[in-house]
Amino acid sequence: MNEQKLKGLFVAARKETAPAPPAGFAADVLRAVRREKPISPPETFSVFDQLNRFFPKLAWAAAAIIVLGVATDFGLAAAGGPDLSDGLSQISAQWFLTPNEF
Amino acid sequence: MVRAGDAQTVSDDAELLERVRNGATDDFTEIVQRHQSRVFAILHRYERDVQKVEDLAQETFVKAWRALAQFDGRAPFEHWISKIAVRVALDHLRRQKRRQKEIGLPELGEDALDWLHSDDEKSELDGRAAAEVLELAMRELSPADRVVITMQEIEGRSVKEICAATGSSSVAVRVRALRARAKLKRALEKLVNL
Repeated sequence: MNEQKLKGLFVAARKETAPAPPAGFAADVLRAVRREKPISPPETFSVFDQLNRFFPKLAWAAAAIIVLGVATDFGLAAAGGPDLSDGLSQISAQWFLTPNEF
Repeated sequence: MVRAGDAQTVSDDAELLERVRNGATDDFTEIVQRHQSRVFAILHRYERDVQKVEDLAQETFVKAWRALAQFDGRAPFEHWISKIAVRVALDHLRRQKRRQKEIGLPELGEDALDWLHSDDEKSELDGRAAAEVLELAMRELSPADRVVITMQEIEGRSVKEICAATGSSSVAVRVRALRARAKLKRALEKLVNL
């Protein structure tokens, strides 16, 4: 197969006409598209919108941390261990009453 | 270069697409009608069965619909949908390659067989027969090679256009085109000697 013959083949292939789309093609596409999930218009969110969206999760996370802290304190107190608030008062008292080396 | 008529179409396409994005699904029909001939022409280069071409064209438009939010309108919609059609064709060729039959002459018409065995360099072949010969020889090529050689030699696309459609670098496209051409020549010689 020489170059000339190959080029002739390409030139001839370019002349082939493609099949015309059938009459109802666009309607068929539309039917297929309707079965798809609808496109939602692009949305823009401000910083406050984004904070608002996360607010319930942030509030629940903060509440969970507080409940966990209180439960730990009660648990330790019930088990006869050091009370968290007592411990904190002791630490602060020691820190204030001992000469500061810094 | 965008001609005056093209610019009008582009702006109309942009307007229509905006309406579609805002919920006017029916306007997508107009978009399909405008670009369906081009999509069919691209896909027909890779698939000869008209029914399959129609299925692939539908797949192209549905994929375009799904990705509509990503179309930013910087390039004409026609370029974007052509790119999707090339990707659909490439996927189709990959699927087909896995269940491909051996290359054989019985699938060719008489004109194509005569042309293949003729020593006359100037003997002409009609478009349909030429496409049949190429289709058969191109089965020896990888899907990516086939897309590059078809776009370059049959559709007359530039390297830049091929890069945009395939996502390959210009060096990769040039190397692939050279390699594909050599492979195609060997496949055609194989057909002549069958």
